[in-house]
Amino acid sequence: MDAQARSVLYRIIRRIPNRNIENLLKRWNCLSADQMRALDYTRPKWMIVEHVISFCEESRLGLKHVTNLEMIYRIENPDQGIWNACQLAEAQDDAVCVELTQFKEQFKAHLHGVIRHISIKMKKHEDEAIWIRIAWGDNFSKPNHLKPTYVVHHLHTSYVFISNLMAKHKIFLCQALVIATKHGSIKDGLLSTKSLNAMRDLLLRRYQQVFPNAHSRILQERNTLPSFPCIGKEHRDHEEIRHQMACEAFGHGAMPKLETAVYRLETRYKGNSNYTLSDKEEFFRGVVRFSSSSLLESLRHCVASGMAEGPVTPLLSAITQRGRNYFVITDKGPGVSSQASAQRA
Amino acid sequence: MSLLRPYSKVPELITATVLLVENEEEFQSKLADAIVQHEKEFNVNVRLARKLPLPVENKETRPRIDLIVFIISLLSQRSLQSVEGSLAHLHSDCFLGKVCFLVTDARCGSHTQERLVRVRKLAASHQCPVLCAEHRTADGVIAASVRILNILKVSAGMSPIATTALYLSSLTRCSATSDLEED
Repeated sequence: MDAQARSVLYRIIRRIPNRNIENLLKRWNCLSADQMRALDYTRPKWMIVEHVISFCEESRLGLKHVTNLEMIYRIENPDQGIWNACQLAEAQDDAVCVELTQFKEQFKAHLHGVIRHISIKMKKHEDEAIWIRIAWGDNFSKPNHLKPTYVVHHLHTSYVFISNLMAKHKIFLCQALVIATKHGSIKDGLLSTKSLNAMRDLLLRRYQQVFPNAHSRILQERNTLPSFPCIGKEHRDHEEIRHQMACEAFGHGAMPKLETAVYRLETRYKGNSNYTLSDKEEFFRGVVRFSSSSLLESLRHCVASGMAEGPVTPLLSAITQRGRNYFVITDKGPGVSSQASAQRA
Repeated sequence: MSLLRPYSKVPELITATVLLVENEEEFQSKLADAIVQHEKEFNVNVRLARKLPLPVENKETRPRIDLIVFIISLLSQRSLQSVEGSLAHLHSDCFLGKVCFLVTDARCGSHTQERLVRVRKLAASHQCPVLCAEHRTADGVIAASVRILNILKVSAGMSPIATTALYLSSLTRCSATSDLEED
């Protein structure tokens, strides 16, 4: 085993609690039963790593196997690092019949064609997701396995989730994805979060949505009745309207756990009292950042409980409707700034 | 503008009605459950509202209201503003011992002290008592419900001793101390 394989292995083991190491190694399925038995998981991490490395050398396992271990670990713990979403557009006619093997071949062929040193590994997870691990090198240097890019794609959907991608490699990856999935173009989805699952649920609409409908009242099942007959609510109608509104904007039931939403303002100051700011031609720049352990649920609660009055602004409902959490708000004309930005988005 | 009047309806037999007004609708349902479960001697009707004025369409079904409790969370500015707005919709007769303020979250947050001072001034100017309650624990909710029931008993005329709401309010009303007035 070379130094890079050792350091990759050490990095993986370092991140896992000792009690989970055994499970991971079992799933890796590269060590023999005797070797597994010989490992003592109560020892310090560096000793375990030394042991595993010596076993790997015994069984002649190399970098390839270690990266495989890393993939297994990463697939099981997807909520690490920042994930970005990209959206594929302009699907070709045969985009719906792309198969896994075809995708794999095209993707690899394209990347190997443009970069001489690159290591690509693909795995299909149980939930139909394709996980791709790419270690980038260039014409003169070996692939760097310490900073791999992870890409997750569900075939026949128009979203790709990417983690840890450097700007200079973006163009290569995007080209390969566009070609392999038979689409015309790819653009930044403007959604980034720590949790891959939240992102997937939000974009692939895997949460319970409520559609505006005057006739069916889904919320009837919600328990609005007070627990005792002698308790009466004066504003019950109002409360139901609010709940309906909140659920239409942010869904019903458990929501994807999005953590932040960022609004970048590039607007002019419009107050009439403070003329020193309003007469300037330049933009009044600022960033508004909402953060919460579960942002969508917080927003829904704000609307449902009446803390935020009135209909939900398109700026907030755009998080779910457009599946993004980064917005740029610009002036388009007096009084239409919020609307304009939602459309611009 | 329809004012809420305390004596516009005939009272029901052995029944008292309390109106809980809270903008956030967070604490009031817990408090309502506690009040109803705790009181065994007479019937308690609880009405929950976000703010005044109350909707006109419920006017016929609504019983005579014996006590109005404004619940204010000191964590939110809006809560206080909403109560200040609601006070304008009460007939002046209500302030003769039929209104009280219930303050929550007085111990957390950074602006709570100045808001508490504002609530006390508000209560003093309306001759009403201020109660502080802990709404995060079950014990706190029960304690708050007991205190409200005690006031309700008097204001609904359930108290066997000849105590009237007017008399009680002159004893329990919040008085703005001199240092409060100086601020």
